[in-house]
Amino acid sequence: MEVLRLPLSASHKGKLISAGYTSIASLSSLSPSHLAIELKISETDALEILKSVSDGIGLPSTSSSVTIVNGAQSAWDMLQEEETLVHITTSCADLDNILGGGISCKEVTEIGGVPGIGKTQLGIQLAVNVQIPYHYGGVGGKAIYVDTEGSFMVERALQIAEACGDDMAEYSRLYHKGPQACEVKMMQAKDFLENIFYFRVCSYTEQIALTNYLDKFITEHKDVKVVIIDSITFHFRQDFDDMALRTRVLGGIALNLMKLARKYGVAVVVLNQVTNKYSDGSFHLALALGDSWSHASTNRIILHWNGDERHAYIDKSPSLRSASAPYSVTSKGIRNLTSNKKRIKHM
Amino acid sequence: MTPENLLLRPAYRQFCTLGCPILDALLGGGIPCNSITELVAESGCGKTQLALQLLFTAQLPRRLKGLAGSSLYLYSEFPFPYRRFDQLVESFRSSHPILFACCRDPRDYVFTRDCQTADDLLDVLLMLESRLKNAKETKLNIKLIVIDSIAALFRSEFENNAGDLKRRSSLFFKISSVLKSHAKRFGIAVVVTNQVVDLIDVNEGASGVRIGNLEGLYTSGRRVCPALGLSWANCINSRLFLSRQEVIDGEENELQNDNYSGFMNRRKRRELHVVFAPHLPYSSCEFVIRKDGVFGVDR
Repeated sequence: MEVLRLPLSASHKGKLISAGYTSIASLSSLSPSHLAIELKISETDALEILKSVSDGIGLPSTSSSVTIVNGAQSAWDMLQEEETLVHITTSCADLDNILGGGISCKEVTEIGGVPGIGKTQLGIQLAVNVQIPYHYGGVGGKAIYVDTEGSFMVERALQIAEACGDDMAEYSRLYHKGPQACEVKMMQAKDFLENIFYFRVCSYTEQIALTNYLDKFITEHKDVKVVIIDSITFHFRQDFDDMALRTRVLGGIALNLMKLARKYGVAVVVLNQVTNKYSDGSFHLALALGDSWSHASTNRIILHWNGDERHAYIDKSPSLRSASAPYSVTSKGIRNLTSNKKRIKHM
Repeated sequence: MTPENLLLRPAYRQFCTLGCPILDALLGGGIPCNSITELVAESGCGKTQLALQLLFTAQLPRRLKGLAGSSLYLYSEFPFPYRRFDQLVESFRSSHPILFACCRDPRDYVFTRDCQTADDLLDVLLMLESRLKNAKETKLNIKLIVIDSIAALFRSEFENNAGDLKRRSSLFFKISSVLKSHAKRFGIAVVVTNQVVDLIDVNEGASGVRIGNLEGLYTSGRRVCPALGLSWANCINSRLFLSRQEVIDGEENELQNDNYSGFMNRRKRRELHVVFAPHLPYSSCEFVIRKDGVFGVDR
């Protein structure tokens, strides 16, 4: 028993063992308060135990700093981590450009816009693109698609998946320029569909339950790299007379989603509707669910019409400059706008 | 909770034919099940015509691209168009003589109910659930629900103040949610018709917000926008727009027959546009309304 080797008092050792903590690993991810309750000791004692445990492990030398609180990171570590952060391409180069490579994993990204602007299209595109294998520059993961509105059309997903498969075939043909290109195992449209876990949610109760369940689901399916919720809004715009309750429930969901994003390194993409907001004597468009919800997402992208072009605008992001880029929705999915005008506009 | 297997789904995705191959092709097979499709147009464009036609085509067997079920027609614009309905019954019977030989009357498979208010509609939809659940016993194998029109219910009852508007949009979402859950559970296609309002000043207010593929919707030379605003637009899956434009034909004829110079052959040109749909790109086609129904025009 590893615990016996720790420099602790005999009574603490006894308590640890009787509570079932025999290995150092079992203690390494505990919080002091949790341990204190379980061993019925004071929190200072619990902290003392945990300290000696972390000293005992002699912390792996990857991080130069000493971890004071479990889970804490130095900004330097975070920077390094961010450099390895993967992005899911949107298939539109201009959009990827302003997003710094695509939708980033480990973050919650909210995408809003008027009906028919292409929110669902972008959602389906991401569910397909997350599956692009590593050697094609993708993430090689699976997708969870939570459909609250019933707008997900398999025919459309199939169409986008086929186009994505074709693009990959084209790429490998250009890249290898030889007969061995044929040897690369191609992904069929069918495979793409098989890797999308589709949940149809019919009420807000189901939606809350599903958000809570996703944690477990992702532990069982570790290769899930994107969670798309299309849309977060629909069920929360009915039956809620008590707006304070709605805010609390949505706050809970937001927390859960953020936790998922961090814990499993998945990209969480939340689609939102727009609504008319009345302020200063005039109406203007704003994303639905109110001001408190706007804190729920790390990045916020607004899709809007600009004349006859569809544009995406980064409304909020801690790391990206606000910029706008045009995109188009084609039969193949989301693509660049084909025109010669200067496309990216920085603000 | 378990995820659905998408590979199994295409087999279940059903479309209800509109009874015309050209219109079906435009809509990728017809009106999709498990989804709400809105028909929006000014009065006299053919919303009700198309809706009535669907009541019959839904009864067609699967091999004729129907839904092999009966249909429910909830109407709020009075009176029920009996004469046109009977006319369509006759033409429908004569075009499918074997299916409806003698004993089977297509009228037996169309259920109707009037709705006076929005709450009334919600009640009807809520009560429908238990009947749909026991479809075998109640012989209510409904595969198509038509609401004609949703706008009529909401345009009179509600005042233009904050409280009423909030109540109104809450009702939109409730109705839409019930419809969607029925559509999902029982594989029903839902069609809702909506009216239009004129756009007076494009720059004022939020009603000029562009929704969907078209910069603006024009009918009879006026710029219009669908009634019930932005929040209702969030409640539907697809929106189709029927437009009507008066065009002058026969300028070539004029040159040929000098006798008729000055005579202009005015006719109404009707078009169907896809405003937005998750599975369709923008497209449009001309259609005509004939005695025996609504048909697309191939050009």
